[in-house]
Amino acid sequence: MATVASPEAARRVQRLERVWRERPGLLGWLTTCDHKRIGILYLFTSLAFFAAGGVEALLVRTQLIRPDNGLLGPEKFDQMMTTHGVTMIFLFVIPISIGAFGNYLVPLMIGSRDMAFPRMNALSYWLFLASGIFIYTGLFLGHGPNAGWFDYVPLGSKQYDPGPNVDFYALGLIFNGVSSTAAAINFIVTIFKLRAPGMSLNRMPLFCYAFLAVSFALIFALPPLNVALGFLELDRRLGFHFFDVAHGGDALMWQHLFWIFGHPEVYIIILPAFGIATSIIPTFTRRKMVAFPLVALAEILVAFIGFGVWVHHMFATGLSSITLVYFAAASLIIVVPSGIQLFAWITTLNTGRPEFKTPLLFICGFIIFFLLGGLSGVMFAAIPFDQQLTDTYFVVAHFHFVIFGAAVFPILGGLYYWFPKVTGRMYHERTGQLSFWLAFTGTALTFFPMHIVGLLGMPRRVYTYPGGMGWSDYNLLESIGAYVLASGLFLIVANLLVSAFRGVRVGPDPWGGATLEWATSSPPPDYNFPVIPKVTSAYAMWDREDREEDARKLTRGDLVLERGHETPASTVLDADWDEILEMPSDSPWPITLAAAAAGVFAFLLLGHWLVAGVFGGLCLAVLAAWHRQEPQLA
Amino acid sequence: MTDTTRTAAASRRSLPNGVWGIALFIATEATLFGSLIASYFYLRFKHAGWPLGGIEPPKPALPLAITGALVLAIVPMFLASAAARRGSVGATARFVITALVVQAGYLVVQIVLFADDLSKFKPTTNAYGSVYFTLLGVDHFHVLIGILLSLWLLSRLATGLTNYRVVATRVISWYWYFASTVAVAVTLTQLSSSL
Repeated sequence: MATVASPEAARRVQRLERVWRERPGLLGWLTTCDHKRIGILYLFTSLAFFAAGGVEALLVRTQLIRPDNGLLGPEKFDQMMTTHGVTMIFLFVIPISIGAFGNYLVPLMIGSRDMAFPRMNALSYWLFLASGIFIYTGLFLGHGPNAGWFDYVPLGSKQYDPGPNVDFYALGLIFNGVSSTAAAINFIVTIFKLRAPGMSLNRMPLFCYAFLAVSFALIFALPPLNVALGFLELDRRLGFHFFDVAHGGDALMWQHLFWIFGHPEVYIIILPAFGIATSIIPTFTRRKMVAFPLVALAEILVAFIGFGVWVHHMFATGLSSITLVYFAAASLIIVVPSGIQLFAWITTLNTGRPEFKTPLLFICGFIIFFLLGGLSGVMFAAIPFDQQLTDTYFVVAHFHFVIFGAAVFPILGGLYYWFPKVTGRMYHERTGQLSFWLAFTGTALTFFPMHIVGLLGMPRRVYTYPGGMGWSDYNLLESIGAYVLASGLFLIVANLLVSAFRGVRVGPDPWGGATLEWATSSPPPDYNFPVIPKVTSAYAMWDREDREEDARKLTRGDLVLERGHETPASTVLDADWDEILEMPSDSPWPITLAAAAAGVFAFLLLGHWLVAGVFGGLCLAVLAAWHRQEPQLA
Repeated sequence: MTDTTRTAAASRRSLPNGVWGIALFIATEATLFGSLIASYFYLRFKHAGWPLGGIEPPKPALPLAITGALVLAIVPMFLASAAARRGSVGATARFVITALVVQAGYLVVQIVLFADDLSKFKPTTNAYGSVYFTLLGVDHFHVLIGILLSLWLLSRLATGLTNYRVVATRVISWYWYFASTVAVAVTLTQLSSSL
């Protein structure tokens, strides 16, 4: 319930509560279209997958703790290693950053009452959940993905991997891609069209710029992956010859298609982290971000240039020198926008009054790991260096510093930062700081020695290694580090779980945050804001007069929109008032459609083409039923 | 259409959410077709002789003619979109049906051509067969989805126009603008070995 100043305002708020009230109970959660509830569903689901991926990582590290270890055989090791990669990328980092943080926060930050397409938002979640269950069904049946997360052919072809393992991978990722594409389109339209009147693009929080860049990257990056996966399945199941050299196909085509997706994917993973960092740093340094327009442009440029560097994953495949040199140059250029952001974060910290609470500590950890991972990344742009170290543990060290240290640390910091907003309670600060130091030490201990064993020649993806190579002590350290890291992560979960029930209660804005999510109560009401907020800068919460004007607007009934399930739409650039949208409320169709789509993929896997077709027809029928209920009835 | 709906459609200064949605969907679809066409040429330039294995190059006349007809069907879809925005349900339905006749005719002829090609070589013959039939299959499926969308739209128009249906007409028109344009790109790729 929002704080209200007058009887008229109280009446309006009561009406809003009635109009926007969510259906209670399990059915409410299954049919919800509310962006906050969908964000929470994404959060718990992706955390469950994070735990699964973490257990796989611990098994891998335990297997490698000493030479000639026999804990996992080669087959189990391949499945654990591959499923770890697939899980962390497709079922944890993207869903938690875009699905959980994006869904919960973007509409709040832009002063909207929901996403542009609420039912499609619910569909994205249920498709994501179904695709995750699909991939894990393979693992539980002993047929988990096993050819590495980038599944190179011919290793991933029927000839060398005859079981259904790769089919679970390929169909599961196509399924997952549908969910991500729908989510990306939804975010772009939401950010373009649903910003509060007055929030012109130059007044939009940097967090939203990051999510806009990620969403654009997703809609252009996923199709090449889906084409590659489609070709792979046609080769494997129906005897096509896309990657079969004996019949005119080409194995390298897989690598091109995969990495045209795969490298932008790296930025898709890390851009939300940039967005979280640009939210946390101003709050805890009490100053605005340095070089706001440059940082906004850099976020978009990183996503854009990310499409022109994929061949640096293929420097050792025998492509022509001119191709390699072009992509080496492009890989160096991307350092510029990344560097701009890095310097902006450091300068903001340096010129502000930093208060090192847990969220900011995680951002400091992020900056350190991003710098280290970024520097080893630049080294790979040097072609001879890359050719020497490709497929060694040096690569594993580099991308874990970037993908875990840099991409996941802000997510962990963000969990602490927005915890009071979502639960209305504060976490335990000292435990939070301890969890940071455990996670930081664990990450450094796990991944730094990998640089050294890589330089010593240890190849990646081996399930064991002989003693006497000079690798054993480093591997022992890495495995100890993995357990230290796991204890830090466990402490985070424990802190947040206990605090959700026993933490000190907090008001709407415990941090003095800069963006609009802090303008509403904690947790936010179903309608987000009692009045659509007035916005005159990118740091809306620091404009006190505007927030006072909101209270007056509520009394006047100006932009309260309490008569229907409504939110305003505005123009794309200037966010001028455009129209009132009638938003759909809960619907049973998204979850039904996801279930029917799961049937399609399950029967495709089983090779029952006709039954898969019947489920495809069912999907169309569900879509027709879905659209019989028109949200904007005139 | 009620006065409220007409006012909403007329006073709107930027594209409605639905049109933004389809524009972005088209962007991702265009990338999908771009990847398919790029794969075709990637495989094509790996070989001195193309089509592979002595397969006869496709005959260009009929595919070019029917693709031209499909492109012309953009005109009635554009007019349907304009009629919906004016609030004229009858004209909207008539234009959608006119386009649908051409689009369905295109698909029928393409299916006959597809079956004829299959009698000469198969997707499993070699990589040329694989990429040829996959590219065409995806494109024909794309047109089929458009036809289903138009049929669904007609079923909704039978009970009048609402703001939602005006936006739906615009959205489905955009889908057809793209489906027809990409069919040109696919056909030219298909025929590139004969041209």
